[in-house]
Order: sequence, then C-alpha cells, then structure tokens
Amino acid sequence: MRYLCSSILMLLLISCASYPKKNGFTVREVRNIENLYFSDTSKDYVYKANIEAFGNSFGGIFIIKKLGDEHHRIAFTTELGNKIFDFSFQGEDFKVNHILKDMDKKILINVLKNDFQVLVAQNPFIEKSFQKDDDFIQQASLHHKTYYYFLTEEKLKKVVRVGNGKEKVVFLFSEINDNIAQQIRISHQNFKLNIALKAL
Amino acid sequence: MRKLVYILFFMVLAVHAQSKMNTSEANALKATVKALSDETRTITADFVQYKHLDFLSNDIKSEGKLAFKSPSMVKWEYVKPFSYSVLFKNETLFINDNGNKSNMDMGSNKIFKQLNQLITASIKGDLFDASEFEVFYFKNDENSEVHFNPKDKQFAEFIQSFHITFNDKGEVQEVKMIEPSADYTQIIFSNRATNKPLSDAVFMQ
Repeated sequence: MRYLCSSILMLLLISCASYPKKNGFTVREVRNIENLYFSDTSKDYVYKANIEAFGNSFGGIFIIKKLGDEHHRIAFTTELGNKIFDFSFQGEDFKVNHILKDMDKKILINVLKNDFQVLVAQNPFIEKSFQKDDDFIQQASLHHKTYYYFLTEEKLKKVVRVGNGKEKVVFLFSEINDNIAQQIRISHQNFKLNIALKAL
Repeated sequence: MRKLVYILFFMVLAVHAQSKMNTSEANALKATVKALSDETRTITADFVQYKHLDFLSNDIKSEGKLAFKSPSMVKWEYVKPFSYSVLFKNETLFINDNGNKSNMDMGSNKIFKQLNQLITASIKGDLFDASEFEVFYFKNDENSEVHFNPKDKQFAEFIQSFHITFNDKGEVQEVKMIEPSADYTQIIFSNRATNKPLSDAVFMQ
C-alpha cells in the first residue's frame, strides 16, 4: 500500500514537473519587461488576419488601438468593412461593445479575451526569471494564468501560456521593427484555433 | 446684431445643403437611375474604401477594382494594401483571400441575399422598388443621396443604413454603409466605364 502511494506521488510529481524544469531553464534574478507592441496611443495597429477555427478558415481586418493607460480597443471586421466583434480592455475590466449574433457565445468570447489580453498587457507582473541559451524567460501572471515571456536579444519573440506544466497557447512575434511586430501568430495547442496576423 | 443674423443665416444654409426631395424630384431621380440601369450591361470602376471606426486616429484605407455584368455577376477585388476578392455569381459567394479560395452558398442565407442585392444596387443604383428597405431621398448640391434603411431586424443589426450618392447622370458615385454603432464604411468610385465588353473570364475564380 505504501509502495502504491509513493508511486502515485512520484507519478504526480513527474507529470506536474514545472514548465521551467521540463525545459531546462536556469533561474535568474527577477527583472521586469515591457510589451511595447501595442503601446503607442498615436498609432492605429491594423493587421490582415487569417483565422483557422475548427476546420473553417476565414479572413478579416484586425485592429488594436491603445486609448490610454491599460486601456485598449480591439476590433475585427470583414475585408468589406462589416464589424464582426469589438472589445474594450480597461484595467481589469473587459467589455463586449459588439459581436455578431452567431459568435455571441460565452466560451468563444472567453478564449478571445484571454488571447487578446496577452497582446495588450504592457507590463505583465513578473514572478520569476530564467535563462536558457540566449533566451531570457520571464514567468508572469496575467489574470490568474501563468505565462512565459521569451526574449531574444532583448526583443519579445514568444509568449507561452502554460497550464499543468503544458503549453496551452503559443504567441509568436516576428519581423519586429520599431516596436511593431509585422507578423503575429497565436496557436492553441489543445484545440484547433490559430490566428495569423500580418501588419498592413 | 447684423453679424449674428448673417451667422445664423449661413448656419441655416449649411444645414440645408442636404435637403429632402419632394415626391416629383424623387420620382425624377428614380426614372433617371432606372433608365440608366436598364441599358447597363457591364460596369468597371476603381474604388477607394474608407473604414471609419470612431476610436481610430485615421480611417483604414483600401483600394481595388470592381466589375459588374448583367444581371447579377459582381466582383470586388481589393489590390491594396492586401489582395482579396469576392465574387457574387449564381447565388454563390466565391472568396479568394490572397490565393486561399473558398466559397459560400448564399441561396439559403437571407443576410447574404440582401447583401448581394445591396451590392448590385450600389453599382447600378436600381433598388427603389425593393420592399425590404425604407427609402429616403435627399438633394446634396448637384448630387442626389438616397438612404436605404433595412426593415429586417437581423439585417439592421449588421447595417443600419445604406447611403448611395448619385451624380446628375444617375451614376453611383459613393456608397456608405452605416453600422448601428455609427461606425461606417465609405466606398468612393472612380474611372467608371459602362457597357465595355467584359469577358466571363473576369468572373472566374
């Protein structure tokens, strides 16, 4: 019996091994980071979007606007201009200004909200810092979820949302110029939802 | 005092730059547009689209080409700043998103049917008999502006009002689609050519 207990415990420990441990990160002194990709209130951030969701693929125009401190608006329209959704993020508050009736489902809105919060969070709360090879990795907590921010050559290249030691959502930022990521990719690991954004 | 009167006078004038048409003016416009529409077999034009969202500093500008062939083949092709086209043909919507092709059957979708009707109308202008819209007529300098408000609630959630501006020849110059939130999409046409032979190949995807 005791053997069984300890083996279950061992199993739990192994499967729950933390994300940094599994990936061989080395602990470093905590340092804060800033996500500047959507931080300029004078800019309209406009992207061509391609969304693959559960076997369907569709496009549109994805728009992010910073309106003030911790205050962003995110909207998605068709190429012809019809608005699909329009969300406000202000501090801890989230508001749906508009969403097409067919998409007005709590579960879907929550997924989008969680994804977009990562894009607009400028100063994520850093709990721990790590290093692996040339990457500096910051463990952050955002709305009670754990994220790892990967910085290569001081540029934010990747964010991973982790749950139970496993990658749930991966955000990739590439072709970075002047604090603008020309390409952004959001990939969900546990269901088929991928969002690809290309700056216009 | 006299200054104030002048200012008030000009304010009133400014407000009245767009004035309501009387019934005979509206009927004359309908007749002009209908006559032009009846003899229109093809149209090609360039367009510039401005998407206005109240919270943005600037409207989002895109440009493209439009082709229409009677009775109801329409192709909108965006060329700048992205490559994207939609083709309305045989109750089907064909989409080419930078090489990724897909299509959608519009036959069963009321919203798409109305959208297609609006799009065809926005090119030909001939929409006055449609029972699905409340129609209002205005004069705007040399031009005429007609407002179409969808009666269908589901559609009105999408577009609250659809404004078409005609020149004195009855050609559509500008289309504005206004959302319930007051954000809008404005499309301005230029280089319009009517009844130029257009091969069916233009409407292939």
